[in-house]
Amino acid sequence: MARTGLLSLLCAFSLLAQVAKPKSGPVFQVSSLKGVDFVLRNSPTSRKYLMETMPGGVALLDYNNDGLLDIFLVNGGHVRDPMRIPSSFDRHDPLYWNRLYRQNKDGSFTDVTEQAGLANAGDTNYGMGVAVGDYDNDGYPDIYVTNYGRNILYHNNGDGTFTDVTAKAGVAAGGWSVSSGFLDYDNDGKLDLFVTRYLDWSVEKSKTCGSERPTYCPPGEFPATTNILYHNRGDGTFEDVSVASGIAAKKGHGLGVAFADYDGDGYTDIFVANDATEQFLFHNNGNGTFTERALDSGAALTSNGKMLSGMGVVFQDYDNDGLPDLLVTQLPHEPYVVFHNDGRGTFSAQELETGFGALSGKTSGWGVGLEDFNNDGWKDAFVVQGHVFDNVEMYDSSLRYREPPLLALNDNGHFEKADAGSDVPVAGRGASFGDLNNDGWMDVVTTSLGDHPQLYLNRGGKSHWLTITLRGKRSNRDGYGARVQVNGQVRFATAAGSYLSSNDKRLHFGLASAETADIEIKWPSGVHQILRSVKADQFLLIEELVQQ
Amino acid sequence: MIHALLWVCLLAQTQSAEPPMAPELLTLLESAQDAENRRDFDQAIAEFRKATDLAPSVGIVFFRLGEAYMKKRDYAGAIPPLNRAAELSPDSLAVHQLLGFALLAEGYAARAIPHLELVHENGALGIAQLEAGKPAEAVASLEAALAKSPDDPDLLYYLSRASTSLSAESLDRLLSAFPDTARGHQAVGQNFFVMKMFLEAAKEYQEALALRPDLPGLRLELGQVYAASSEWEKAEEQFRGEAKLQPGNAEAAYRLGDALLKQGKMKEAAEQLRRSDSLHPDMPETLYSLGRALAASDPRTAEHALGRVIEMEKESALAGQAYLALAGIHRKQGETEQAAREMQQYRRIQALNDRHAPTKH
Repeated sequence: MARTGLLSLLCAFSLLAQVAKPKSGPVFQVSSLKGVDFVLRNSPTSRKYLMETMPGGVALLDYNNDGLLDIFLVNGGHVRDPMRIPSSFDRHDPLYWNRLYRQNKDGSFTDVTEQAGLANAGDTNYGMGVAVGDYDNDGYPDIYVTNYGRNILYHNNGDGTFTDVTAKAGVAAGGWSVSSGFLDYDNDGKLDLFVTRYLDWSVEKSKTCGSERPTYCPPGEFPATTNILYHNRGDGTFEDVSVASGIAAKKGHGLGVAFADYDGDGYTDIFVANDATEQFLFHNNGNGTFTERALDSGAALTSNGKMLSGMGVVFQDYDNDGLPDLLVTQLPHEPYVVFHNDGRGTFSAQELETGFGALSGKTSGWGVGLEDFNNDGWKDAFVVQGHVFDNVEMYDSSLRYREPPLLALNDNGHFEKADAGSDVPVAGRGASFGDLNNDGWMDVVTTSLGDHPQLYLNRGGKSHWLTITLRGKRSNRDGYGARVQVNGQVRFATAAGSYLSSNDKRLHFGLASAETADIEIKWPSGVHQILRSVKADQFLLIEELVQQ
Repeated sequence: MIHALLWVCLLAQTQSAEPPMAPELLTLLESAQDAENRRDFDQAIAEFRKATDLAPSVGIVFFRLGEAYMKKRDYAGAIPPLNRAAELSPDSLAVHQLLGFALLAEGYAARAIPHLELVHENGALGIAQLEAGKPAEAVASLEAALAKSPDDPDLLYYLSRASTSLSAESLDRLLSAFPDTARGHQAVGQNFFVMKMFLEAAKEYQEALALRPDLPGLRLELGQVYAASSEWEKAEEQFRGEAKLQPGNAEAAYRLGDALLKQGKMKEAAEQLRRSDSLHPDMPETLYSLGRALAASDPRTAEHALGRVIEMEKESALAGQAYLALAGIHRKQGETEQAAREMQQYRRIQALNDRHAPTKH
């Protein structure tokens, strides 16, 4: 560890030691979102088409730059029983639209889908996920929607409207795309795009599994497929570099994706949560190519050598050692896996040591975040849950299709279950994390199949906090890929992670009792920026310092 | 050769009690024998049938007719002449043997049993008893047959079926006669467990425990129900109870250690796993879990435990897991080359096991 890093870490520990442990009691107040009438329509059928149990994404973004987070929700579509060929999902019907809700000053929301130009999601597209990033560095966040079908890139025009620029940009992908995210893998200051794909699946290839009790087939029943990496040319178009970069060399069953520079070489690496195959850790070689290293790095399998049914993933530092770790959610009978970053580019599966053996194992985890919900200086875990099978109780009476979410507070690197504020079971899927009411306390918006989205509004407390918005100059404007250290805690700037979802791009830090913070930023451009004794409890905009 | 000896022997047995044969009859029998030697069983049957018309009270003639049917694999056709032969020559073991086989082949297991008992044909008798719904007798007969032919796959198969059937019969008796006993609830709990109905299984075990809290094995089984549904805290409680009840039970100590391990209680897990290892040394699963429990706190002892797993398991999936765990230990200590070597072994074993794994469909 570098000398400065060690000092920062010691400093952080001394500050954290002054803070009393959080008191028990619900962390969130759980409610519906005022003005949000969206229902995630997945259209379950007797044919058990696999995609109908997989949507849908949610994004927290400030699309109109008014300082308030807005919500974008991806809908599934209408699936006929049985489906016709060619398939149509009736996305022209408002019931199946994706929806954009603008937040009003009073915390309510207004549906602006139609006026924003986001109503038509394409009849042949069954909706999955969403990524957010300012790919053209114009200061307005753009939206990328993944589908079974063709994906759509919506350019934010800056006037409250969006334009479908997919054809020009060349990012339609095709097949079955799932999670996606913007990153700047070559540090050229322009956001590139990564898309996970799940299966080589079509209506013609679909089958139902289970004899007396039909249900969804496991992914191994269908051929694996490749993920996609698009390089941003900077002229509004992207180039598919999946093959040239080495990303397409590996076929899997990709669901979740998260980004971080795990080995500190200055280049953003990519982790793909694969279902029922080895996980992928694409190490960025810094020359436009990637090498898949999960197995040799110790991030491919559970601690007892089993494949994960990886679904959601987050790539952040949970134990404040300055190195990004991985938390991967999966199906029951194996706990969610924590891949602890041991340094030297290696990981060890520590699901048991961190407490996830006791916290999970009966549940199915999808959207996941590592955020400091109680502002004590340690990132906590939130997982939205619900089994894949809508008839799982018939297979295993101890399991449930609908499950409440898991909130696990981080006590010095060990996670313990806490009261999330709701025990209402849902078929949870997407989860996005952000400070919806700008009070300095992280909130969560989740999606669940056949249901309205839920808001987990943080009840707050007395601890201090700091929320940072990065503005890249030489780096990409969103600052994605920056390593930001605040009083020894580290966050990697990204909106990606979770499952199908995109998070508030602002970086939130709980400061416990500290009233000031020392901030150190390593921008993707290589610029190193330090701010000392910054006042706590504020939203801070930090622009990249670029020497003229 | 064997057939000729049998023929002479049978002839001797049956002739002893019967009058001498007429020359015309002997000619018919010789002609039938010739046809049989040519494997012309229809001709042989026709000749033997004529012989039975000529000598309706001579047992050997009916036996030979029945035998010809048997050779033709027409077991239904063999039964009437063999029945008549048994009436005429009730002491002929050969007749009873053949009749027992014919009846069994045609599904008349209960009727075959007395004939097979007479000739002490234990293998066929065991099968007949099993088919006739007498699994306890079947187990005894098949075990007697296996004592003579220990490597006979058919006998092993039927013994396995008979044992299962006997177990089911005993269970039915237990459940019908004593449904509200601890053993009754335990048995029902076992059935629910097999059907993956874990909630129902746990309920039955809890009822059994309420009736007989000190019954050995109950808590071990209930703990396994909880473990199967990943309820590790509850599993730990039950395994701890079993370990207290049976301090010399290595499995209880192992299961307790594993439940602790799953909850991340590494130190206590290692203690229990060590205790299990001392009670029943060289159990690969115990050593593997011990290796995992000690990986962070005492890597050298963990390496030793995992090494023992590999020595015992050679190329099994568990050996592969042990190599993977060893690679993790080396990796964490910065021993890159050793980690790479262990990963090479892991991959080799994975490839072997993938090759031997049953394919889908």
